[in-house]
Amino acid sequence: MRIEILGTGCPKCQATEQIVRKALAELGIDAEVVHVNDPRKFREYGVMFTPAVAIDGQVKLSGHVPSVEEIKRLLAH
Amino acid sequence: MTWWQIILSGFEALKEYIALHVLTCLIPAFLLAGAMVTFVSREAIVRYMGAATSKFKSFALAAGGSFFVAACSCTVIPVASGLYYGGAGVGPAFILLWVAPAANILALVYTGTILGGKMVGVRILAALLMAFVVGGVMSLVFRKEEKARAESNPSQAAQAHTKVMKRADVVLLLLLVLALLAPNYIVQKGPYYQKVIVWAVGMAIAFGYAFLTKTREEIGHWMKETWWFVRLIFPLLLAGVFVVGIIGALLPEAWVTEWLGGASLRSSFLATLIGAISYFATMTEAPFVHKLMGLGMGAGPALALLLTGPGLSLPNWLAIARVFGVKKALVYVPTLILLGTLVGWIAGNTVLR
Repeated sequence: MRIEILGTGCPKCQATEQIVRKALAELGIDAEVVHVNDPRKFREYGVMFTPAVAIDGQVKLSGHVPSVEEIKRLLAH
Repeated sequence: MTWWQIILSGFEALKEYIALHVLTCLIPAFLLAGAMVTFVSREAIVRYMGAATSKFKSFALAAGGSFFVAACSCTVIPVASGLYYGGAGVGPAFILLWVAPAANILALVYTGTILGGKMVGVRILAALLMAFVVGGVMSLVFRKEEKARAESNPSQAAQAHTKVMKRADVVLLLLLVLALLAPNYIVQKGPYYQKVIVWAVGMAIAFGYAFLTKTREEIGHWMKETWWFVRLIFPLLLAGVFVVGIIGALLPEAWVTEWLGGASLRSSFLATLIGAISYFATMTEAPFVHKLMGLGMGAGPALALLLTGPGLSLPNWLAIARVFGVKKALVYVPTLILLGTLVGWIAGNTVLR
């Protein structure tokens, strides 16, 4: 699994990465986590509001820092 | 002056600032910004901007909608880029890029409590005026490119059906605005505890309404977003106020009066340049300008600095050049510097005299 965090490197985006990593650790899932901070990449994904999280190339949420629970729910599907 | 006195003046400024602003001004402002992020659909606003058909309508929507996208210049770039590459014109995209930081609600309200209502009114008008001119200039200069883009990129007007916000949310936002304005406008001269009373009543009403109309989860989201604003902006604001205190102690008054005083074209240009180059986090421009005005800065140059301070900065030029291309940045930035200078000069000699 490949998880991309889309963000400008802002504190909110870093917090999102932490939360994603935490959710992965709690679920015991091994996934690749990458931080994408090139705004040109965002538009390929159609993302305007950062931070956003994409799982395997699909944008799952955008515009707010998720909770660990939220990420777990996304990973379950 | 010894270094100790200089540092002390930084702390003095900090003390005065915390005593006067945190409770009655900053807390409601952060709550308002948090509520806007949670309850206003920014996606819907931006979609409306992109879907507008006539040029005037798209300009007006971009300028008006940007007031509600509480943002500093760094977070607004992906939004403007998304708007532009989603098919909207170059005009509205750059209007959003300018208005969202230069005239966002947080900064406006805060300007009002520190510099007074008249300055806010002029700031809003000037920001809108500059937005329309900059949008027009961008569309004109890049008209060939725009035409090619419009042909290859069919408009995606059909999808604008998400509601921007529900009626209950509008009421909540209005109550928060009132809670924010009331202490500073009802009690303009009285002792500070009277402000606190008005503040407490306003907050109680807003929260009462929120608890009646919102689910626990929505209120939780709201508080989380508010806390993010506090964490992101508050430290910058404190650092900014501290630095402003020190600068105020170091800068000779004669120097400020000489270079930034009055309403000459030169003062206005210098103020615009300071604002356009250095980075001001949202809201930090107001105490800075307040301090400079105390040292003799003219009202016109002050307006110019208020406008370009949060809207432009060197890092922001570079980011715009990277996302939109160097050519667009080379048109956008000088146009705004020119406009800022003119607006400061004209306002300084007319409405702000």
